[in-house]
Amino acid sequence: MDTIRLLGTGVLLHAKQMSRSPLEIVISLVDPLVYATLAVYLFRAGDEPHAVIEAAIGAGMMAVWVSVLFGSGGAIQKQRFQGTLELLMLAPRRPVVCFLPITIATAVVGVYGLLATLLWGVVVFGMPLDIADPAAFVIAVVGVVASLGMMGLLLASLFIMLPNANALANTLSYPIWMLSGMLLSLSVLPGWTTPLSNALPTTWGARAVREAAEGGAVWPSLAAAVGLGLLCLAIGAVAMTRMERRARVAATLSLA
Amino acid sequence: MTDVLAKFRLVGTGGVLAYRALFNWARLPVFIGTLLAEPVTQLVFFVYLGRQLGVANDTFFIVGNAVLAASKAGVYGGTMAVGNERRFGTLGNVLLSPRSRSAVFLGRALPYAANGLFVAVFTLTVGSLLFGLDLPVQSLPGIAAALVIASLTCAFFGLTLGALGLRLLDVWLVSNIAYVLLLILTGVNVPSETLPGWVQAIGDFVPVTHAAEAARLAAAGADFETLAGPLALEAAVCVGFAVLSALLLHVFEKAGRTSGSLETI
Repeated sequence: MDTIRLLGTGVLLHAKQMSRSPLEIVISLVDPLVYATLAVYLFRAGDEPHAVIEAAIGAGMMAVWVSVLFGSGGAIQKQRFQGTLELLMLAPRRPVVCFLPITIATAVVGVYGLLATLLWGVVVFGMPLDIADPAAFVIAVVGVVASLGMMGLLLASLFIMLPNANALANTLSYPIWMLSGMLLSLSVLPGWTTPLSNALPTTWGARAVREAAEGGAVWPSLAAAVGLGLLCLAIGAVAMTRMERRARVAATLSLA
Repeated sequence: MTDVLAKFRLVGTGGVLAYRALFNWARLPVFIGTLLAEPVTQLVFFVYLGRQLGVANDTFFIVGNAVLAASKAGVYGGTMAVGNERRFGTLGNVLLSPRSRSAVFLGRALPYAANGLFVAVFTLTVGSLLFGLDLPVQSLPGIAAALVIASLTCAFFGLTLGALGLRLLDVWLVSNIAYVLLLILTGVNVPSETLPGWVQAIGDFVPVTHAAEAARLAAAGADFETLAGPLALEAAVCVGFAVLSALLLHVFEKAGRTSGSLETI
C-alpha cells in the first residue's frame, strides 16, 4: 500500500514539476500539432481516404513517445544536475520505486500532446469525436502511460551507462514512430522489421489506443503492451540496482 | 588592403572559433546522432509514409528532406551563435570589441551554413543509396546550387532567431517552434498545392521552400534556366534574413545597452 502511495504521489509531484517547464510543454503541444496537421494534409493528398482521428491519435502517440524518450532517458542525469540524485538514492526504498514515478510522469506529460491533437482535430478540422469505446479508450491510455513509463525506466537505466546518451536519444524518435506504426502502417515496412515492431510496447500501446478509438479488439493489444512494459521494468530495475551499487562503490553518483 | 585581409580573418577565423566554442553539438557522437542520423531517419519515415498514402514518389521525399536537413544545423546553430554567448556570459566581451559587428556575426553564420551543406549532402547520398534513387549526373549542379543557397538561408534564419535571444528569456522555445514549423511550411513533405493558401504564402518567405522546389526540378531533369527562378527566390529570402538578423542584432544590442540588460537571463 505504501509503495502504491509513493508511486501515486511521486507521479503527481513529477508531472506537476515537468508541467512548469515551458520548453517541455511546447514540445508536448506544438510538435504533435504540427505532425497532426502534416498528417491530415498528407492523408487528404493521398489515394485513399483516412479519418482525421487516425492522424490525431497517431501524432498524439508520437508525442507520448518523444516525452518518454527525452524525459525518461535523461531522468537520472536531470536529478544529478538538480542535486537531488543523492537524496533519491538515500531514500529507504529501492531505487526503482523512486525513479518509476519520474518515468511514468514523462508519459503523463506526453498525454498532453494526445489531448491537444484530439482537440486540434475537433476545432480546426471539424473532426467528430466518435470514440468507438470511450471507457476502453481511457483505460487504454492509462495502460499505455504505465507501459511506456516502465519502458522509460529501462531507458533511464540504460542511458545513464552511455556517455553520449542524448545523441542516441536524438536518433530514436523516427525509428520508434515507424516501427510502432503510430502514423504509418506496419505493412509498408520491410518484413525484417516485424519482429522488432512486435517486441516494442509502443507498437501494442498505439494499437490498443487506435482500436479503442476506431473499434477493435483492445484488450489483447493492451495486455501485450503492459506485459512488455513489465518486462522492461524488470530489466530496468536490475540495471538500476547495478548502477547504484557501482556508483556507491566508485563514489561517482554525483559525477556526470 | 590590410583592412580587407583583417576583415576576412575576422570572418573566417572568428567564425570557426565561435563555432567550436558555442555549438553544443560539435562533439562527434552528438554530431553524428543529431545532425547525421536523425535527418536520415526522418527521410526514411516520410518516404514510407508517402509510399503508404500514395502522395508522391520517393524522389519527392528524398530530395525534399535532404534540402530540409540543412535547417537543423542552421536554425539551432544560429541560435547558439548568439544565445550561447549570453548564456556563457561572454556576450559583453564580444560587444565591447572595436570590430565590425556585421563581420563578427557574418562569420558566425558561415560555419553553420557549411555544416548544413554537409548534412544535406550526406542525407541525400544516404537516402539515394537506401532507396535506389539514381540521380542523373546533369542534375547534380542544380541540386548542389539549391543545397548551398538553402544552407546559407537556414544559417541566416538561425542567426535571426539567435538575435531574438538578446531579448527573450528562452530563445530555445522560438527555435524549436521555428524548426518544427519548417516541416509543414516548406512543402517538403506535403505537396504545396494541397496546403491552404495562407500556409503557402508564409512558406514563400521561409528558408528551404524555393530551394526544395529547385532541387526537385533539377532531379527531374530541368535545365538551369528553369531552376533560376526558384533559386533566385531562395537567394532573396537568404538576403532578407541576413539583413533582418543584422538589423535585429543592432536594435537589440542598443536596447540592451540602454536598459543594462544585455546579459540578464
